[in-house]
Amino acid sequence: MEKYIFIDDLTSDVLFEAFGRDLKGLFENAAEAMFSVICQLDRVGHKESRAVEVSGRDEKDLMLSWLQELIALVDTEGMFFSRFSVEEISPTKLKAVIYGEETDPAKGETVVKGVTYHKFMVEKVGGVWKARVSLDI
Amino acid sequence: MKEKIKKLNDYEWLLPKGSRDRMNVDAKIIANKKILDMIEDDAVQQLTNVTTLPGVVEPVIGLPDMHWGYGLPMGAVGAFDAEDGIISAGLCGFDINCGINLIRTNLTIKEVRPKIKELIQALFNAVPCGVGAKGKLRLSPSELDEVLLHGMDWAIKEGYSTKDDKAATEEHGCMDGADPSKISDLAKKRGAPQLGTLGAGNHFLEVQEVTDVFEDSGPWGVREPGQIMIMVHCGSRGLGHQVATDYLKIQEQAVKKYNIWLPDPQLSCAPANSQEGHDFFDAMRAAVNYSFTNRAVMTKWIRETFEHVFGRTWEDMDMKTVYALAHNIVKLEEHTVNGEKRKLYVHRKGATRSFPGQAVLIAGSMGTSSYLLKGTEVAMAKTFGSSAHGAGRAMSRHAAIKKFWGSKVKEDLEKQGIIAQSTHPKVLSEEAPQAYKDIEAVIDSVHGSGISLKVARLAPVGVAKG
Repeated sequence: MEKYIFIDDLTSDVLFEAFGRDLKGLFENAAEAMFSVICQLDRVGHKESRAVEVSGRDEKDLMLSWLQELIALVDTEGMFFSRFSVEEISPTKLKAVIYGEETDPAKGETVVKGVTYHKFMVEKVGGVWKARVSLDI
Repeated sequence: MKEKIKKLNDYEWLLPKGSRDRMNVDAKIIANKKILDMIEDDAVQQLTNVTTLPGVVEPVIGLPDMHWGYGLPMGAVGAFDAEDGIISAGLCGFDINCGINLIRTNLTIKEVRPKIKELIQALFNAVPCGVGAKGKLRLSPSELDEVLLHGMDWAIKEGYSTKDDKAATEEHGCMDGADPSKISDLAKKRGAPQLGTLGAGNHFLEVQEVTDVFEDSGPWGVREPGQIMIMVHCGSRGLGHQVATDYLKIQEQAVKKYNIWLPDPQLSCAPANSQEGHDFFDAMRAAVNYSFTNRAVMTKWIRETFEHVFGRTWEDMDMKTVYALAHNIVKLEEHTVNGEKRKLYVHRKGATRSFPGQAVLIAGSMGTSSYLLKGTEVAMAKTFGSSAHGAGRAMSRHAAIKKFWGSKVKEDLEKQGIIAQSTHPKVLSEEAPQAYKDIEAVIDSVHGSGISLKVARLAPVGVAKG
């Protein structure tokens, strides 16, 4: 199973689908997909870690909160992140440890301005969790 | 949806009420035939989505740089009655007051060409750019609140900007009514270290040469071919992005609370006269002030860089701001609708204000020309005083990265005499000129329709990108 795929559908923005056998995998893979847009994942180390805790009304709202929190952390912590480990997860709450290093524009890709609501969805199809996310860049 | 479009004349196309269900008003597209043929059907559908919102005033406008965007297309205008309409964080966009500053010089291409590599490298070093770049300023919470409240007046007080810069800026660099208390601590935390940073993606700092002067620019001081200009394109950085994110969530709940029917959840909004509506407008105005100040701070560093490279003072090089304007913004304006004066919340997303006599700046793609134009009465009558903002993308960034090599793009630009400096090569591939619509067709559309008129053409000489 692929972790995520990008779809050339949006003229101005980025659309990806992330997959997971469970919610833990889905949320980790969606985070990795988004950070592959923000920075050059293969050049970003994982020496430092940060604990993250977010909540939402359901899986979909939780995904929105998770990705929005990670976008904000790039600015507030001055870090790029390359590894994501979801430690605890329910449909309404998530605890994770994320790993990365100090930002360096030479290792950057682009600024993600926000997670849009366009075609946004989280669902379980045939035993596989899938999220569709479009980012404003 | 495009099959429902009716031709009004060579530059105006109508999507009549009834083209789809729930349309309250007509939509109109300003474009020549070449541009119209390039507009995606999905973007036209998005335009009609906005016609379904409460209190919308006819018509919803698509501009010639229109392309698919989340919610409202980029390059579009939606106006709503100030009493019975809505105000929308979604329609404003994530990058509040993303905009352009144009600075003139009295330098000529003959003086600048021999030093262009040194100049672009120096500008690249002086203005922090790229994702994750560290800003040079560290604002205290009270200083940031002053920026949010007073905009460019703070920049003048601190010596970054001048009264002339302020006079040449939309809203004189400060929207009244901004309320920093309506902005979250998280947005402030993101914004405090980023004042005076360019960002990444399609944001740029460009040195340009005047190639054509179509009419006397008067006090704007754009005089003749060969004159060097500087254009800066960027927005409100993480602060504005967070304000938009916060209010999208708040307005998502407001939509349920006030029972507003939406064809697309990205069109989150609130009644203009509700608390949620007022709060967004107050917060947005503060983010607008941050963005005007952001570009004003960078203007100082650009002037200092020119002083260093050319050994003259910036005043001696006549480096005055020609005009500074906003692209993504909501304004409370008075417009004449069917002979009646009405107060409207005009949402411009990827659109420039084009009031009569005002400077209009339309940016080309990385290797192509930009234009200085002036606003017109025609724009007041047809587009709520609005014009286009750029070339408009024709290809997704992902597709462009796959199709173009950054190093090849840089080489091709150099063959055209354009020096490009970026934090990494991929930004050059995603912004390759071929990924955008033909700027000349966009300009023909705005000039031909009369919504803004050409004053000067500005060709790139060198560009720094994040």
